[in-house]
Amino acid sequence: MNETSHKRWGMTIDVNRCVGCQTCTVACKHANDTVPGVQWRKVLDVEVGEYPDVERLFLVTGCQHCAEPSCVPVCPTGATKQRDDGLITMDYDLCIGCASCAVACPYQARTIVHDEPTYFGVSTPQETKVAHDERIGVAQKCTFCIDRVDEGLEAGLNPGEDPLATPACASSCISQAIKFGDFNDPASHVSELVATRDYFQMHEQLGNDPQIKYLIETPAVPARNSDPMDLSDETLLDTEHALVGKRQTFWDMRAAMNFIMGGIGSGSAVVAYLLWISGNVNSQFLVVVNIVSSIILAIGLFCVWLKIGRKLRAPLAILRPQTSWMSREIYVAGIFFGSVALYFFEPNSLFLTSAAIGAGLFLYCQGRILHSGKGIPTWRVSQMPLMLVATGLLEGICLSAVLHFGWDSEISVTSILPPAAIILILFNSFLWRRYARNAKVWGISPIDRNIIGSLSPKLYIFGHCIPLILFGIAFFVPNTESSIVCIASLLALIGSILWKATIITRACHMQNFALGKMPHRGSGKFAAPVIN
Amino acid sequence: MALTDKNSNKKSVATFCYQCVAGPDLMKVEVEDGIATRLESNYDIQDEHPGGGRVCVKAFGLIQKTYNPHRIKSPMKRTNPKKGRNEDPRFVPITWEEALNTVANKMKGILQDNPLDKSGYPRIAASFGGGGTPTQYMGTFPALLAAIGKVDMGFGAGQGVKCYHSEHLYGELWHRAFIVAVDSPHVNYILSCGHNGDAAAGVAGIWRHADARVRGMKRVQVEPHQSVTGGVAAEWIPIKPKTDAAFLYGVIYRIVIEQNWRDICDVERLEQDTNSPYLIGPNGFWMRDPKTEKPLIFDLNKKKSRPFDKEVKNPGMEGEFIVSGIEIGADEDRWVHKNIKVKTSFQKFIDHMREYTPEWAEKHSDVPAKTIRKVADEFIENACIGQTIEVEGEEMPYRPVAILLGKTVNNGWGGYNCCWARTMLMTLVGALEVPGGNVGSNVKLNRPADSRQKSAVKGPDGFMEYPFNETTKTDWEKDPSIRNAFKTLVPLAANSAWSPALGPAHLPWLFQKKAPSNWPTPTKPDIWFCYRTNPAISSWNAPEVADRVAEFPFICAFAYTMDETNHFADILLPEATDLESTQLIQIGSAKFVEQLWGHEGWAIRQPACDKTVDYMDMTDIATELAARSGLLEKYNAAINRGAGGQKLITEEFDYGLTENKQHSNENIWDATAKAASHKLSNGEEIHDLNWFKENGYMLKPYSTKNWYLYPHMKKNKIRFELPYQERILRHGTQLARRLHETGIEWWDKQLEEYEALPSYDSFPDIWLDHVREEGGNPDDYPFWAVTSRSMQYSWGLNAGIPMINEVAQNVTGHKGVLINRGEAKKLGISEGDPIRIDSISGFTSGFAVLREGVRPDTVVMIGQFDHWKTPFAKDLNLPSLNSLTSLSLSLTDSTGSGSDLARVKITKTSGPKRTDQRIESGANL
Repeated sequence: MNETSHKRWGMTIDVNRCVGCQTCTVACKHANDTVPGVQWRKVLDVEVGEYPDVERLFLVTGCQHCAEPSCVPVCPTGATKQRDDGLITMDYDLCIGCASCAVACPYQARTIVHDEPTYFGVSTPQETKVAHDERIGVAQKCTFCIDRVDEGLEAGLNPGEDPLATPACASSCISQAIKFGDFNDPASHVSELVATRDYFQMHEQLGNDPQIKYLIETPAVPARNSDPMDLSDETLLDTEHALVGKRQTFWDMRAAMNFIMGGIGSGSAVVAYLLWISGNVNSQFLVVVNIVSSIILAIGLFCVWLKIGRKLRAPLAILRPQTSWMSREIYVAGIFFGSVALYFFEPNSLFLTSAAIGAGLFLYCQGRILHSGKGIPTWRVSQMPLMLVATGLLEGICLSAVLHFGWDSEISVTSILPPAAIILILFNSFLWRRYARNAKVWGISPIDRNIIGSLSPKLYIFGHCIPLILFGIAFFVPNTESSIVCIASLLALIGSILWKATIITRACHMQNFALGKMPHRGSGKFAAPVIN
Repeated sequence: MALTDKNSNKKSVATFCYQCVAGPDLMKVEVEDGIATRLESNYDIQDEHPGGGRVCVKAFGLIQKTYNPHRIKSPMKRTNPKKGRNEDPRFVPITWEEALNTVANKMKGILQDNPLDKSGYPRIAASFGGGGTPTQYMGTFPALLAAIGKVDMGFGAGQGVKCYHSEHLYGELWHRAFIVAVDSPHVNYILSCGHNGDAAAGVAGIWRHADARVRGMKRVQVEPHQSVTGGVAAEWIPIKPKTDAAFLYGVIYRIVIEQNWRDICDVERLEQDTNSPYLIGPNGFWMRDPKTEKPLIFDLNKKKSRPFDKEVKNPGMEGEFIVSGIEIGADEDRWVHKNIKVKTSFQKFIDHMREYTPEWAEKHSDVPAKTIRKVADEFIENACIGQTIEVEGEEMPYRPVAILLGKTVNNGWGGYNCCWARTMLMTLVGALEVPGGNVGSNVKLNRPADSRQKSAVKGPDGFMEYPFNETTKTDWEKDPSIRNAFKTLVPLAANSAWSPALGPAHLPWLFQKKAPSNWPTPTKPDIWFCYRTNPAISSWNAPEVADRVAEFPFICAFAYTMDETNHFADILLPEATDLESTQLIQIGSAKFVEQLWGHEGWAIRQPACDKTVDYMDMTDIATELAARSGLLEKYNAAINRGAGGQKLITEEFDYGLTENKQHSNENIWDATAKAASHKLSNGEEIHDLNWFKENGYMLKPYSTKNWYLYPHMKKNKIRFELPYQERILRHGTQLARRLHETGIEWWDKQLEEYEALPSYDSFPDIWLDHVREEGGNPDDYPFWAVTSRSMQYSWGLNAGIPMINEVAQNVTGHKGVLINRGEAKKLGISEGDPIRIDSISGFTSGFAVLREGVRPDTVVMIGQFDHWKTPFAKDLNLPSLNSLTSLSLSLTDSTGSGSDLARVKITKTSGPKRTDQRIESGANL
């Protein structure tokens, strides 16, 4: 590593050179033996504007080997790392296929395949020969042809100059649009290009400092700033549009179950603990809630385990507590489950407290896990952890209320839970309203905004308003039937489940591709100005 | 790739990709344990190859091609005598022995009997894929054809609409440009009418144009939809289909009429190097000196007319001149003129252009007059008239402007006009055949084929000689020698080995259905060889052609997989494909498209991997057929004469094959390797086949001065034959007489095109009239359907290769029919909807792909699909314009070409929307 530690590998891509031929795409497939449907390097055919003002361009995409990668810290096993020379590496043998990295990437760079598809339905001699079993069920992505680079350096070649020591996409490019080299070397070709040409980095505002820099002007084609009108909301609703992110399918209902069950379970444990410590329920109730919570939490975790690509490797997910909220979630789950279990052997209230702390932290971890899905604009909003925690607590109240329903107790929680529920409903409602209202500003795509928009009335009415009224009745009207609280709780629970399921599995389109600047070329108003 | 070759079971095999006409490009195949695993460009040649030694996307499909499980695995014969699209051919495997004997015996029988049938047509016919690329794969099969002698190679597979047809013919006439390329290393401004070079000009073209763009070259793209090339251009100007000639005429008007042409054009070039000052008699032919019969020009200084080859520093260009002389018309008609008022070619040109104002052009083309003027002004501004540049020590004019024409622009009706207008514009600024301007890349009709310069010989009137097919009473070929009658109908098609393919290659199919009057009875060939072509998919009106193919009695198809043409075959011969066969080919110098090199030499294709099916190399097949049909000696003699690409016996060397002996593939190419290297190095470096297998290629420098024809012309005092087309007029008039003498009137519309100065017809109306002619109402067909090049698929016969399909999906248009979004909305069509497209002669179906970059009146179908037999491809549900275009005389121009164009209607059909595989995000957790 010493040899490469002073280097900073990266690429420049000249948008005015690229003709979208896909030679790089297919050269990458050859060099890296990727299976059908997997394209580590891909060139998008992009159209902006409206006839007769139209611009078409080709955008090379793939792993940007970010200087500040969002995929690395989220990896719970350390399978994804950043080398000293900036390359983001994948250790297939360590990866569990949890897809945290895939949803954290705002560049749609990562892929997971669970079987070994073949092009013709049967494996050809070539496919058999180049098969990579180690890639099944784990995350994969462009490596900047790390082996070519390393072996090239070993052989005394110069990556970026010698084609065989340069990533296959750059070497194969028939328009010399893709150039590879060392950004730390001011004399490298890529450094010279960015020093002399106008360029942009994609999604600069996200702070990843991607190491693919897009050159966008030539003497006959000046640069122009992207105009929001380049892409109408109508265009952005079209998932066939090359720039529009597809709905992520990395995390499906099984993953959502973890957030749903995790929220309900951990929230209940926290609420029950608070009820117990404030004297509103007895320890017996708390223990029951803890047991129920444990089961719910375990179901959630079981569901998420079902979806990971390499199930037997799941224990490796504890390896990265330094940065990964998923690793941390496992640790705090351990605290919770351990405390609940230990209480049976040693009914010490300390274990009740540690269980509650574990549950609380678990809830918080979940918020942070979803929030670290930086590649999904609906997830990465800063209030996401708060939303999950607030919802979790509301769910906790609701489940506690349901569990308390019919509980043979002299203490009634109906005087405590309804006001708490009201406060949390109002707070959750406020958070949702803020979320829905700011969705556009926060970079959420029109597709997801529409989904959020259509969910909102249902959530407000059934998840917020009706429970609010019912809890209000329970609070203000003396001797209300506790079944009203129960109904209110169930409705609020359903509301919570609904929004989480929606955000995780439906309103979850991947970050759109975008160009910070555009080449000024095309028809009508986009036509390159006459240069005198 | 080489860096990983640490294990002895891995090797890297040098070979080439020549799947498309823009090649060849060199590559290396990584082979492990006899299995081809990966493929990469051959970077060894990156400094010499004009495209940096790279191969394009198509080459990467070759490994899948090799291991395609759908391959024909052994020779097969048909057992169902009934042929038809819905007939199961019931192919059964047979031995090579049986297959070769069956074909050879049939050949033998024909050759021993009479190689010509009752109509005088060859009984053996052969069709090959486009652009001459099959020749680069068929080994010594051309030697077998030469040994047979009479072979009809005029059954087209799409020629005429799929090629730059008018450009091929007029390009060779005017500046030895079978393809009119651009000197991209020097050009600064390109006006491109539908030339989709960034999808079609190959690695060299794309590499150099990208360099040019970064250098500052500006390209303005004029076309109905924004192609790949239009996207990359600085400006896209949407134009109504088939009106490019109007647009270009408007540009000419802006330059020569709206402004003082003497201030902005290359006056000296026009006066001294073109026929501009030639005087034209009242009958439209040159005024000639009565004694020498040389065309006259008017010397303003001496105030008298003089033969064109006298030094006239100040020739008359404009106005009228009173002169005496003779005029020699068609069939040697002669007129003697005394002191009559005549005009020059240039004045006639000015007069001719006067009606074509930018406003007029706007009405026809939808391009605003203001834009036309802007383009004309930019063109002039960038022409750098008067400037020079040094090329390898020689000073040459520097004119960095060029005009490129795409298919459908430079073929079919209007093709002549567009080619003429383009060449005229280039001539006005002196940018033809000079650095920075338009250059020809090679010759195919003129000879010798290896040198444009040598082929440009001065003729009696001061222009390049041209091998017109005779139209005189005595020498006109009244009875066509092959079924497409190129020598009879198309004087410009000349008579080279390429000419049959450049005649009206669709006529055999058309006439087979309905014979025209006063014409030999159309017959079917007794044997039809079919190699690397699929006319039942690639022809205009492909379904109609498929029906005709089904009528052929015996088809021998060299077959890789089943396809729509070999479905009708009687014998299938699985030949060694690209990574399995041996051949040496010439590379470098100046070839096709933009393969303009600074080197020339030879490259090898060699077997890279172990055999997986029971194939034979084309050379071995040819040898076996020759031996079994009694043609061995003639066959070997043809190889010795150079039918394998290189003469084996010359005055300098003799590597000839013994003619009465059957030679192995290795022996034949070993001799070729030695002869080729001997010739290339003047005997200094003689390499055998093994050397080529090891090294891949051999090169020597080639002067880039050869890219430009003008210096040669100037040196030899040859003038460009522009603006006035006296020879075209002459041949047209003579041809009309010959045909009418024979009672043929069905070619009259085509004869009208033989104008000395092509006048604009409302070309789009021809397609509307065709709808009426077929009994339809043009209002029912409100859209223009056009096609566009798919770089991923074109020429490659690779529609059955899934990896190519996968990556092609990233390029818009590979999922269906491109329709303007607004227009689709009006029709209630949304993205991915199933639609049916009907023309007056056929229909196709696919899915809607909504796009802004297409005119509202135009729909686009990329590539050529609508497969119904080819494995994998038949399940793609992709539409094809070839199912919509009409095989029709009224859509055939005088050169025998048509245009990829149809009037269509679109209907949303019931059925599910397009479902795309979720390959984009890959993950499917």
